[in-house]
Amino acid sequence: MQHLRIVDYLSSKLHIESDSISTLFDTCILKEIKKNDFLLSENDYCKHTFFVEKGLLRQYSIDDNGKEHTISFAPENWFVTDRESVYFDSPSRYYIQALEDSEVVLIDENFIQLLSEKIPSFTTFNDRLLHNHIRHLQNRINLLLSASAERRYLEFIEMYPDILLRVPLTMVASYLGITPESLSRVRKDLARKNFKK
Amino acid sequence: MKTRTVELVASPRAPHFVGDGFRVHNFIPSGFRLDMQRMSPFLMLDYNSTYNFPPSDKPKGVGVHPHKGFETVTIAYKGRVAHHDSSGGGGVIGEGDVQWMTAANGILHKEYHEEEWSKKGGDFQMVQLWVNLPAKYKKTTPKYQAIKSKDIKRHELPNHEGTIEVIAGEYNGVQGSASTFTPVHLFNARLKKGGKADFQISAEYNTALLVLEGNIIINGTEKVPTDHLALMSNDGEKFNIEAVDDALVLILSGEPINEPIAAQGPFVMNTRAELMEAFNDFNIGKFGYLED
Repeated sequence: MQHLRIVDYLSSKLHIESDSISTLFDTCILKEIKKNDFLLSENDYCKHTFFVEKGLLRQYSIDDNGKEHTISFAPENWFVTDRESVYFDSPSRYYIQALEDSEVVLIDENFIQLLSEKIPSFTTFNDRLLHNHIRHLQNRINLLLSASAERRYLEFIEMYPDILLRVPLTMVASYLGITPESLSRVRKDLARKNFKK
Repeated sequence: MKTRTVELVASPRAPHFVGDGFRVHNFIPSGFRLDMQRMSPFLMLDYNSTYNFPPSDKPKGVGVHPHKGFETVTIAYKGRVAHHDSSGGGGVIGEGDVQWMTAANGILHKEYHEEEWSKKGGDFQMVQLWVNLPAKYKKTTPKYQAIKSKDIKRHELPNHEGTIEVIAGEYNGVQGSASTFTPVHLFNARLKKGGKADFQISAEYNTALLVLEGNIIINGTEKVPTDHLALMSNDGEKFNIEAVDDALVLILSGEPINEPIAAQGPFVMNTRAELMEAFNDFNIGKFGYLED
């Protein structure tokens, strides 16, 4: 199997040699997915957490009026899944689609169990990852309820520094919960403040 | 003086579209022999081989995008491109024209088929080249050099064998009109069938030849067909080309910039930290604003 980013990612986070964990990934499935193809669709049962080795994924929902709402973007080194579907065995409300030709590692519950058994520090790390994710979601709810469009945008570019060049602005607007016109206005106002000829 | 030999003849890779207006074969960076460091100061070469665009009322092209840390050089062989940028500049690159844009500290621009040309459609053939800037010039103010075909300096080869158009650098005492930040030679050799041209360039300059029309033979032995790129070794100073049939060849050669390269998307800096700064500058509007 080719050398995986997830091995480097975990070895750096867990402060262990990549050689000592790389064999654990021998049985992992590395899935290639073409731009615009889906890893998950509404009403599917999601069985995996996806780790992005290469490319870019988007998780989103579609409301009753057919409008898309972006839940998250997942570029290289990000995890994305529908936890409700995986851990509560329910049909998914979401789509996970590749925005670029991508490669993802498929991680299931058994593999998480294996990592927990074989790597003593993994459980603590995994808990921390989960807490961090909850912190991010809380912050996102708070921003959607209380923050100006500009503030939401500034938080977004801190979280995703290179995404603006990789996705259409309409998708970014749908992540921020604002119209594409509002997003253009925010960007224009910032340029007015920050652009020096 | 030693002869500079051919290191590699690269076939055009499968084309891809940049936006919907440029159907390009990417030659640089690719593989380890045509990567950015090996080809320095040339970071990227996209070649739109002759492609017929049908008439379109809505001009095709590439929407607003940034550049920072280097120069883009657009050479129009067939077709016309209109461009606009965030500092209020704009213009049209017509057949035979060259646009040398120094993105340096950062600029937003967009490039589309020129409106009237788009309505008629036709054959389109272009080269876009990215030329790196040394660290000390990466943060200078952006600028343009719009070089019209009629202003390009020419050297006529003896016996009407052809013409060398000197876009930048120097050929046989003829100085190109483009100013560059580090030594760069950029020539179009337009050769008649059987026409020959000799070149003499410092061995350390990284050099490649892109054959746009016809077939050529380098140093009497290496045949390079249309739409192929010949990478020259750094083992000598002189080489020559001979046109098997009427030929057009772009010759690029430059003194390497021996600095680290940190490149991602449309930004080319020296360090990862500078790259992240470039993304942030773009995100917060430091390159200005341009409507799509």
